[in-house]
Amino acid sequence: MHSVTAIVVAHDGARWLKETLAAVLRQTRPLDRVVGVDNGSRDGSGKLLTEAFGAGNVLTLPRSTGFGEAVHEVLRRLPPAPGQEWVWLLHDDCVPDGGALQALLWAAEQDPKAAILGPKLRDWLDRRVLLEMGVTVSRSGRRDTGLEPREYDQGQHDGIADVLSVSTAGMLIRRDVWDELSGLDPALPLFRDDLDLCWRARTAGHRVLNVSDAVAWHAEASARRRRRIATSDEHPRRLDRRNGLFVLMANLPFGALVRSVLRNVFGSTLRALLFLLAKQPANALDELAALGSVIGHPMRLRRARKARKKGRKQGWPAIRRKLTPPGAALRRLADMVQGFLAGAGPVDSAGRHHAGADRAQEDDGDELLTDSGGVQRVLSSPGVVLCLILIVITLAAERALLPQLLSSGGHLGGGALVPVTGGASDLWRFYVEDHHAAGLGSQTWAPPYVAVLAGLSAVALGKTWLAVAVVLLGCVPLAGISAYAATKRMISYTPARVWLGATYALLPVATGAVAGGRLGTAIVIVLLPVYAALATRVIAGSRRAAWGFGLLLTVGTAFVPLVYVLVAILGGLAAVSFGGIRRGVRRSLVIGLGTPVVLLFPWLAQIVREPGRILLESGLHDARLIDPRLGADSLLMLSPGGPGVPPMWATAGLIAVALAALLLRRHQMVVAIGWGVMLFGLLVAIVVSRIDGAAWPGVPLAFAATGLLVAAGHQAHRIAEFRAARGLRRLGAMLIVVVAFATPLAAAGLWVTRGAGDPLRGDLSDPVPVLAALQSAPGEGTLLLRPRDGRVGYTLLRGRGPLIGESDLEPPRDAIPRFATAVSGLASGRGNTYVQTLASYGVRFVTVPGPVDPALQQALDSQPALARLSLSETGGLWRVAGQVTVPPPPATAGALHRGWLWAQGALLVLVLILASPGARTKEPEGDYGDAPVEEGPRGRRRAKEDKGRKDRVPA
Amino acid sequence: MRRLIENRFGLLALVLVALGALYGVAFVSRPAPAAQARPQAVKVPVESVTAVCPAPSGSRVSVVTPADPERAQTPGSATLSAIRAPGEEKSGGKDDVIDRPGLLWQREIAAGGGPLVVDATGSMAAGLESAQTARETSGTQRGLAGVRCVEPGAESWFVGPGPAAAEMTLYLANPDSAPANVSFMVYSGEGPVLSERGNGVVVKPGQHRVIRLRDLAPSPLIMALQVSTRSGRVAAAVKAVLGEGRGVDWLPVAAAPATRVVVPGIPGTAGQRELYVAAPGEQDTVVRIKAVLEDGSYALKNKETIEVPAGSAASLDLSTGIGGQPAALVLESDIPIVAGMKITGTGTRQDVAFAAGAASVDLGSVVADGRAEGKQTSWLVLSAPFGAATVEVRLLPTKGEAPAPVEVKVPAARTKEIRLTPPKGTKGGFSVVVRPMPGSGPVYGGRVLDESVKDGQMVTTQPLAMARTWALVPPTVDAPGVVLP
Repeated sequence: MHSVTAIVVAHDGARWLKETLAAVLRQTRPLDRVVGVDNGSRDGSGKLLTEAFGAGNVLTLPRSTGFGEAVHEVLRRLPPAPGQEWVWLLHDDCVPDGGALQALLWAAEQDPKAAILGPKLRDWLDRRVLLEMGVTVSRSGRRDTGLEPREYDQGQHDGIADVLSVSTAGMLIRRDVWDELSGLDPALPLFRDDLDLCWRARTAGHRVLNVSDAVAWHAEASARRRRRIATSDEHPRRLDRRNGLFVLMANLPFGALVRSVLRNVFGSTLRALLFLLAKQPANALDELAALGSVIGHPMRLRRARKARKKGRKQGWPAIRRKLTPPGAALRRLADMVQGFLAGAGPVDSAGRHHAGADRAQEDDGDELLTDSGGVQRVLSSPGVVLCLILIVITLAAERALLPQLLSSGGHLGGGALVPVTGGASDLWRFYVEDHHAAGLGSQTWAPPYVAVLAGLSAVALGKTWLAVAVVLLGCVPLAGISAYAATKRMISYTPARVWLGATYALLPVATGAVAGGRLGTAIVIVLLPVYAALATRVIAGSRRAAWGFGLLLTVGTAFVPLVYVLVAILGGLAAVSFGGIRRGVRRSLVIGLGTPVVLLFPWLAQIVREPGRILLESGLHDARLIDPRLGADSLLMLSPGGPGVPPMWATAGLIAVALAALLLRRHQMVVAIGWGVMLFGLLVAIVVSRIDGAAWPGVPLAFAATGLLVAAGHQAHRIAEFRAARGLRRLGAMLIVVVAFATPLAAAGLWVTRGAGDPLRGDLSDPVPVLAALQSAPGEGTLLLRPRDGRVGYTLLRGRGPLIGESDLEPPRDAIPRFATAVSGLASGRGNTYVQTLASYGVRFVTVPGPVDPALQQALDSQPALARLSLSETGGLWRVAGQVTVPPPPATAGALHRGWLWAQGALLVLVLILASPGARTKEPEGDYGDAPVEEGPRGRRRAKEDKGRKDRVPA
Repeated sequence: MRRLIENRFGLLALVLVALGALYGVAFVSRPAPAAQARPQAVKVPVESVTAVCPAPSGSRVSVVTPADPERAQTPGSATLSAIRAPGEEKSGGKDDVIDRPGLLWQREIAAGGGPLVVDATGSMAAGLESAQTARETSGTQRGLAGVRCVEPGAESWFVGPGPAAAEMTLYLANPDSAPANVSFMVYSGEGPVLSERGNGVVVKPGQHRVIRLRDLAPSPLIMALQVSTRSGRVAAAVKAVLGEGRGVDWLPVAAAPATRVVVPGIPGTAGQRELYVAAPGEQDTVVRIKAVLEDGSYALKNKETIEVPAGSAASLDLSTGIGGQPAALVLESDIPIVAGMKITGTGTRQDVAFAAGAASVDLGSVVADGRAEGKQTSWLVLSAPFGAATVEVRLLPTKGEAPAPVEVKVPAARTKEIRLTPPKGTKGGFSVVVRPMPGSGPVYGGRVLDESVKDGQMVTTQPLAMARTWALVPPTVDAPGVVLP
């Protein structure tokens, strides 16, 4: 004969208690005794208990009493009932189904060894969601329900299961077993007390069952921080983690304990690191504090272990089977990575409490609405189609370049780009070394874009040529797709975005950048739409967007310093206009504009000292790439001059459409801003092309074009309206469409006709002849002479072709005139000791690429100290016969440089962390009815703003 | 402002005004087309010269450096020494040191011994000229035989009779510190001669080699010889001995293959004149011949052209055309050619001299050896085939004051022969300095030395070579972009 005593422990749970009490009293198997415990509630829970159970059955305890203590207190006062007495433990936020007790008791009768039984727990709010059907624990102390996040109960796990433990919510326990085990451990006032109890019960030879016929709905109010925990000041997360570790370490036999300690020390550190990366320092701190709290109190642990000593070792094999299998950790890691890629944040595993999984994901379930095949879905996306078309156009235009590059093993180069040689490691070494042996040697720090390029090369498996080819030759499709994607939030009319992407990608600046080998402009063109997209979010006050903006602006500035000036001026104007409207905009702007300054500081300081360099971009500065007398009409037509630029009229359609956009009256503000950017960019372009004969106004014109495209694209949806109309309006709409698409079509046609290369080529040979490269001792150089336009140009190469960025180094001032004199003397053929002077700089070879100028050949041949090795149509090579001394690198303390590199690296990592998407940190308060549910755009914005805050944590 | 923006045409007007203003700014600030000033090379004196006299034994060696008041005087000297490897101690004898620019230095070298190296630095180097001239009155070597001491180079051409017609000897010397890998190519009347014994030789530093061309190619009657180095430099000279009573002389270095070749310095004495032309390319060609004489410039009757098959040499007797008058020949062809000429003296025992294609003497020329002793006479044959020229001719004696320079005018397309007479009171030989005056057309020329001996006239000629006085220092620029074509 069973007798059941139900104990309901309440603590500030009036929100749920009423329902709970009703359910307890409505059980189909009536309870023999009911006891309510009020742990010092302040919300009237005590009163509810009294109303339901009567004043005599309610015990009031102090606020700090834990669940276990409360039950102990009740059972201490309650005399044993006759027969087999069961105690049914209930939380105030746990509503059992009407037949729950009956089912539990029925199961208990079936299995005489069963001492602890638990119901199937489902979520309070979404009542179909499974929370628990028995809980186990992993060897790292992680709670494991064995269920998927948000798994619906469809009876898939039903049955009576032998489990490691069940929750105290709805736990039915035999009173004699409770007494035998001395019940829940009061040292664990909350969390994992159930696990501890069940573990001990199993060790003592009892069975723990989960009965799926018994159902209870649980709100998990404490774990989800729906109420304040009074028993401890600590965060429930830390408490949970600490108790988990504590229970594990107290119950494991010694050998397993040692392994567990090691595993947890390692695992917790790793997790803390991951939390830091996910910008959740509070989580990381909790993780470490929990571990420290367990390991830091060995006496407490020893006492606990002593109390659990009996039968621990004998019971371990049976329990071990019930623990989470070891492979689960890896699976969880895989889930985590997958989740991260899907945008759910890196540490968002449902290990603790499943219902905490992000509900926001549900909103983006668009892909479920279409059931077409993957390929069809991809091909029907206008962005993909645009990208494919641009790729085809690019391949057609680069038909001469690519085969050369891919087949004959030639080097990509020409225009502003030196023949691309070397790999990622060469670039890294060049970036970090204090002294550069290249040329005459240099103490200048390598320009920062070398690091960017080295990073890109590392991504391209160390092949610098591949990275450069993708960025430079692929800059047209990349710019197109970047413009298409970046305008997603700005322009809702998709055809307009396609037009905008195509027009932007085929701007004269883009084709000019490809032909001229301007890697910097190519990168900036791709980044510019991203800047625009991020800038709108920065102006909305997003902190994370500001960090990302700062990072990308750093990349752009490193290649083309002028970008920074342009963005800074526009940013200043934006701060003036929007700073007063939205809070935090100013700070975001400071972040966005300050990041490049900090990350590039020493290099920017150099540039500020020589202001002329602001106008120049990375790479070689060849006067043949620039039109020094760029016409005013060219500038107005966004044509920067130089090779690879289509005729001026190609962009006329764009200008015409943008002017037409001015006539529409709606959204005048956006059009005005767009035209403002255009005029500003144009002004800067005029200044740039007039101040410095060596500067190319490509980037300011790209800025101008961006403004123009936004102005025109933003109004494009009106075309659809006009087309729907009849008569003149319809005709006008068609005309505008034709004019608008004329620009990208003409540009594409002209580009394909002309070809993308020249001066860029894909078949350049290494400037250092193979013979010279093979026969040079380390450090010995090859002097390359090339007569051009009545001058003899020269450069000194040390055993290999120049790396990208080495042309920006400054050689020591005292060496330049002496070396130049020696070179001109050598080229004159007048004799003297010029060769010896060159040899003292480590020159072992002199090479003249073919066709060799006869006068120069004669001059070199007349040098007794030069021995000719070869002369052919491809070039001549002379060897210095005498002693060659390689100048030793100066003994310098590179501490400053190294320190800066470390600081730069650390800052970069910091900015990367701050800019990268972290865990979704949305507060799930909307779920629980007490706060108004926010819907629509306002809620969205809030969610976005919250993303940047790192002090908020998921429950 | 707000009203302006909200007006349909307000914004458009505003933008158009701004665009107009920007256009105006850009238009006004457009720079004027800057005339690209082509950077000029700077003329500087040569600082060091090395020349090799191929076989001076029994000859008179003349060394001279003209003094030039324009030039700053720097300490310098020329050393005349036997060829030796770098670092090798000189083996007996004393090197001759010459340190007086402006005066001719001459010395008879005793028979025996190898080539002599003239090493000059500083002010002795600029314009240094040296030559060796031998005079024999009997035997196979009878005649006057002179040759310029040449700088070692990478390529030299010689055009003359073949080993079947004369005993041809090639002298190679390498005064440098790097070995010279020399290869030869002989173009005969039947085409290029491919030697079975290999056509290369390595001349180590300080070494010299004497090669009988008969061993390389025994059959050619006429030939063009190309001596080139795959690596290193070599000084090459070729001597032709036609046999007892038929003369001897050195072949001057011919100008490298070109589509227009001028063979200057043909003396006005009587005798046979034979032109040799070779086309080393892979195409047959027809060479147009034009003679530049004292009375004008014209094609010779029945000798307007000469056909040269690809890779071979051809000869043409021009004795009836230009014999007895000082001349220069202008040869033109569609593909590059080299040319030379054999000049035969008169008398029962003949002597020969050789001329060859030469460059114009734009920056001046120096001839080291000139003589006017006894029956020896020196002539200067100057031609201005393409434009009137004025040259200044100066004689440098062995000692004493140099006489005042003489100005010579050569009308366009004319040749002029000048007899060189040293001023009274000076003894011995003299040097000749020829300097075109500014504004004159290209001048070609040669120095002729003849001596009337009872049994026949002895003759030798030397085309005027550009003096190594000045070097053009090109402007240089440190440009990393030169790695790109």
